[in-house]
Formats: sequence, structure tokens, C-alpha cells
Amino acid sequence: MSDARLRRVQKEIRDCAKDKTSQISIEMIDENPFHLVGAFPGPPDTPYEGGYYEVDINIPETYPFQPVKMKFITKVYHPNVSSASGAICLDILKDAWSPVLTLKSTLISLQSLLNEPVPEDPQDAEVAKHYNSDRAGFISTAKHWAQAYAQAPVHKQQGGVTGGGGTKKVTDAEMAGLSEASVSQFVDMGFERPKVISVLKRMNYRGNNISNINENTVLEELFK
Amino acid sequence: MSSDGEEEFEFEFEDDDEGFDPEADSAGESISDAEAFDIMSPTLEEPPEKKPYDVNYRVRTMQEIMDMQTKEVKKVQSLLEVPADTAATLLRYYAWNSEKLQEQFWNDPTAALVSAGLSPPSSPSTSTQPLPSPLASPRPFECPICCMDYTKEQTATQTLALGCGHRFCRGCWTEYVVGKITTEGESGRIQCMESGCSRIVRAEPIDELVTSDVSKKYHNLLNQAFVSDAPSLRWCPHPGCEHIIECSQAPQKMLNQLVPTVTCRCGNDLCFGCGYPASHRPVICRIVKLWEKKCADDSETANWLQANTKECTKCQSTIEKNGGCNHMTCKKCKWEFCWVCMGPWSEHGTAWYQCNRFDEKSGSDNRDHQAKSRQSLERYLHYFNRWANHEHSAKLDADFYKSTQKKMEQMQSSANMSWIEVQFAKQAVDTVIAARITLKWSYCMAFYLKRNNMTELFEDNQRDLERAVETLGYSLEQNIGDVGAIAKLRQEVTNQSAYVQKRHDILMDDTLRGYLEHRWEFTV
Ligand SMILES: [Zn+2]
Ligand SMILES: [Zn+2]
Ligand SMILES: [Zn+2]
Ligand SMILES: [Zn+2]
Repeated sequence: MSDARLRRVQKEIRDCAKDKTSQISIEMIDENPFHLVGAFPGPPDTPYEGGYYEVDINIPETYPFQPVKMKFITKVYHPNVSSASGAICLDILKDAWSPVLTLKSTLISLQSLLNEPVPEDPQDAEVAKHYNSDRAGFISTAKHWAQAYAQAPVHKQQGGVTGGGGTKKVTDAEMAGLSEASVSQFVDMGFERPKVISVLKRMNYRGNNISNINENTVLEELFK
Repeated sequence: MSSDGEEEFEFEFEDDDEGFDPEADSAGESISDAEAFDIMSPTLEEPPEKKPYDVNYRVRTMQEIMDMQTKEVKKVQSLLEVPADTAATLLRYYAWNSEKLQEQFWNDPTAALVSAGLSPPSSPSTSTQPLPSPLASPRPFECPICCMDYTKEQTATQTLALGCGHRFCRGCWTEYVVGKITTEGESGRIQCMESGCSRIVRAEPIDELVTSDVSKKYHNLLNQAFVSDAPSLRWCPHPGCEHIIECSQAPQKMLNQLVPTVTCRCGNDLCFGCGYPASHRPVICRIVKLWEKKCADDSETANWLQANTKECTKCQSTIEKNGGCNHMTCKKCKWEFCWVCMGPWSEHGTAWYQCNRFDEKSGSDNRDHQAKSRQSLERYLHYFNRWANHEHSAKLDADFYKSTQKKMEQMQSSANMSWIEVQFAKQAVDTVIAARITLKWSYCMAFYLKRNNMTELFEDNQRDLERAVETLGYSLEQNIGDVGAIAKLRQEVTNQSAYVQKRHDILMDDTLRGYLEHRWEFTV
């Protein structure tokens, strides 16, 4: 059956190259037809708009009877994507897979996942917390990530905030979805900045949620 | 097994006594043991009658289970006038509840069929022919999975669509179905390959697509699924045993007032309610689960309690516990004490054996939070200690018995006793072990029991049984192998063992009746 697998994958790559309307690309990295890179633009009207997202594609021996393995190469700030590893939580990559699904249809599903997160079934719990508790903050962090990692144009996203075409440098606090005030509050006490950011991120020290967190609990974590 | 024909395979999922003969399987195996016991201990009557808290059950073989399945399928097949394969798929979907299936089917046949993953009545696929629907063929066809082209003629013979019309080549169907069966262990819920199509691939096309080995595996999986889906069936959990217990008197909703302990044909007990691989009477399943979780969570704090050695409270020499008895005598200084509380054994005399009850008052003057959590840990440890100790002792008793079995064989020749006459020791050990298992669970029960005027009676029964068990355990440990005093020993052990049995029955009877009379409340 490995003949069938090769025949099918080659056909999928060919068909995808012919189709100019979907904006999905599937390319070989080297001679191996079972290790590919897929890519698609971030969907419009989302924080990912303007970004370009690359996906690592691994085709198992049992394809298409078992699902293809995919993970984001481009870093994405999204509840269903691991912010560290790019691993994806999506039903069709697991039990809802069907042998008639293709690499292209799966990449299109990833594109729509960026459009419609499923925070009830998160891959990245910290990001999901941020998404659920502080939507505006989440969107702005996701935009920062799109600009920093997915080449999304800065001017379009930032609107009037930056003047005269100059690009504002995004701080590490902003990339973590934290306010500079929160971070410096603890840095000023003498803790190291990266540690403060990682602890505050884990505790979801953002927006209205700050009032739910006892400062002493934060300090306890920082002293660990 | 099949001598009495139809009756034997009566298959009911409702609470219904019909078709069960409690004598046949459940008690039948043990009659010879009970008879042997009667010879030795005239105080014991015949096997006890069925108590209101006991359940009727049968031990089944896989063959019987398959016959039950076939019978059930045939019944539904003729009632609903559908093919056997369709009836089986419907029954699987409705978890073998044929009443519910009939109700839904007569109410709306199409909905019932479609929700079970079958074709609606008019479709050709509800008939026994799973072959290509005539609409789609014959014309050239490219399989969307393997991208192979098929001519008009080939399409008719080498491709296949279920009633839903989603067509794929047979090679792809086979590879898909084999993967589902052999690597994913699926059987009754294998769906059409089309994304989002929930049409079930039934047994008939599967058997046609795969080799006989895979087909065999598939039918085994179907049978296993039948056992796990049917609420009145449960696999025996004991390793190597392939029997299935059938019991319709212990549905989930009854488990607050019943502890459905059953004995499998392999000789081991299990709980039909939760599958626990031993008796956990008199405690109901729900409380057992809580207790097990608590023990797992607190295992580190409790670990030291299970240590096998302790120091003599008088001379501090190390004492190893080598039998199940809690009445310890230091080899060095001859000090007698209780293993559980380390107090002097003399205080456990017949008048007030107080090793079973946690004294709630002793810590009640401690008011602050820390003392309270300490007290709650101590309270737990009090019960856990006794629970674990009885479990440990039951194991030691069994080991101890094995080591003295040789001596009993000697007794047989030197004291000129018959085989049956030296069985008193084995029977006594069995009695002790069974009583210890009940005592063990009685401490779990006591831990969660809400105190009221009924609990005192429970604790009295517990204490009486515990004292009887320790006395018998002590006799067994001290004397087995002493050939000279054999007649006296036999009399003593036989009497003590009958008394333990009596106390055991009293505790069990009163506690299990207590559930039916709603006497017990639990604090959880
Ligand atoms: Zn095919
Ligand atoms: Zn289908
Ligand atoms: Zn068994
Ligand atoms: Zn149980």
C-alpha cells in the first residue's frame, strides 16, 4: 500500500499547486515526499491577518487511514496552539480524522481554527486563560506575535498608535500579554525580569484578574 | 449447560427474577465444602438461605454469552422485521436494551435506524445486500483515497459503497477496516470513511472484506463489547479467568443499598457493582471508591504503619509479626501486648476489648486549626491502621497456613487421623481470613459512618467479631503441629471457629440489612 500512499501524496501536492484560489501552499523540504511544509496567510479580520503561517507536515506510514501529523513552525499566540512547541489541538488531527480529508483541507481547517478558537479544549492553558479573561489584551498580544514572528505588517495593526511610519519596539512584557506596570512592580522589588514575566504569565496576572490575585501569592511564587 | 434448554439462556436486563436458579451456579460449587464443614462443626447449619441483601447471579462462559447475543438478535429481528445484521447494530446502539429500542423504533423507524448508523428503511442497504447502490455504477471511478482509476466494469466489482453512497475501492475499505480492528480494537462503531458520515460498517461487509483471522478478532471484539455494554454482565476481574457474571438485580441505582458480592467459578469473589476483585462487604461501592482514593492520596503519611516490625514497648527488642494474630508476645521479655494499639494485652481482656473505636473525645479540647487537622489525620490513621492491619494479617494467615500444612500431613500419619479430620485447621484458617476481610472493610465503613444510636451496635458487632478472630488466630498460631494435644486442639479450634463464623454472620447480616432499612448515613 505504500505505493498508494506515495501516489496519493504526489497527487495532493500537484493538485494544490494547480489551485491558485485557496492561497494554500504545500512544498517538499528535500527529496522526502512524506515530510513537507504547508503554509497559508492569517485569516482576515483576526489578529493573525497579514501574517504568514508555516506548518510542519509529517505523513505517517498508515496515511491516509491514520491522520497526518501537523504542527506550527511559525509561533502563534492562540488557545489551541502550544506557544512553545506549535503543537495543535484539533479534532480532525485525532479521532475525527477521515481518510478522505487531505493535506489541503487540513491546512484550511487550521486556517479556520485561527479564525475560531475553541478555548474549551485548549492546547496552551496559559493562553486560553488570557483569552477567556481579557479578550482585548489577548488580541493585542496575538497581534504582537503575528508582527514579530509571522511578518504581519506593523503599521496596519497599530493604526494611529505609531506615528510617521516608525516602528515601535515591542517589549517583552507586551509579548507576554502583560502590562509594563505589573512587570516593573515586581522587578522593582529586586526580582529578575524574565522570572517575573514567566510567573505573572502563569498566574494570568492581567486585566481584571489582577484583583483576584493576592500579591503575597505572587511573591511566594517568585521566591520559589 | 444447555440441558434445560430455553430457560437456561433467559436474557433479561430488567429487575426480574425469572430465569435464574440461584442454586445452580452460585451456591452449587460450594456445597461439597459446606458438607465437609458440617461433619466437623455440628453448630453450623446447611448453606444459608438467600438473604434479602443477596443477589441472584450466574457464572457464564463466552459460548453462553454468544448464544445469548444470538438469541437476543433473533428476537429483535423477528419483532422489528429487519435483517439480523441490522438488529445487531440497533441493539448495540441501544446498549442491548431491547425495550428501549422497540419503543424508539415503533415511534420513528427512520430516526432509530439513522441514529444507529444504518440506512433508512427504503434504502437498499437495509436488505442483506451491502453491494454498490445501482445509482452510482457503472461508470469510471477514481477512488478518492488511493487515487486509483477504475473502469466501468471494475467499478462494479472492485469498489463498494454503504447505504450512504460514499464509494471507495475495496482495497481501501479493507485497509481501513483492518486498521480499525487490529490496531484500534474497534468493532461495532466502525464508521464510513467519508468525513462526517456516521454510517456504520456492519458485520456482513466486514466479514467479506477481511481475512478469516481478522474476522475472528472482529467478532471477539463484538462479544467483548457486548459484555461491557450490557449492564447485567461483568467480566470476572481475576487474572486468567474468562468467565462472565450475569446479574440483573444490581443495577447502578441499587448500589446505595446493596453490596452485590458474587463468587466466580474460578473460586474468587468479586463485587458485581464495581468490579472490585474481592469482597468489600459490608461497605457499599461508592464508599469503597472514596476510601481507595483517600488511601492513595494519603499513602505516604500512612506508609510507616504497614511496617512489618515494631519494638516491644517494654524491652525495646525488635519484634517481627509472623502470623496474623494481633496478640503479641515478646520473645525476650514475654511481655504481651496488642499489635494495633501497642497497649498491654491484659487490658484487651474479655471485658473491654477497645481496640476498634476511635476516641473522638480525646482530641476535642484542641481548638486551633492545626490541632484539628492533626486530629483528622489521626482519626484517619486510626481506621486506616486497623484496615491495613487486617488486610496484612489475612495475608500472613494464608502464608502461615501454607507453612504448617506439612505438619498437618504429619499429624495425619502420627495421630492416625483421616484426611477429613485434619481439615479443621484449613477450615479454621479460611474462616479467619474471611472474617478479617470483613473486619478490614468494617473499618472503612466506620470511618465514614455518621454517628447515631445505630452505630454503637455496629461497633459492638465489630468488636465482638474482632475479639473472636484474634482468639482463634492465636490458637492456630500457637498450637498447630503440636501432635500430642491434637484432640484437645481440634475441639478448641473447631469451637472457636464456629463462634467466629457466628459473629461474622451477625455483623454481616445486621450491617447489610441496615442499608435496606436506611439505618446508615455517611459523612463524605
Ligand atoms: Zn482506493
Ligand atoms: Zn458514508
Ligand atoms: Zn473468575
Ligand atoms: Zn463494589
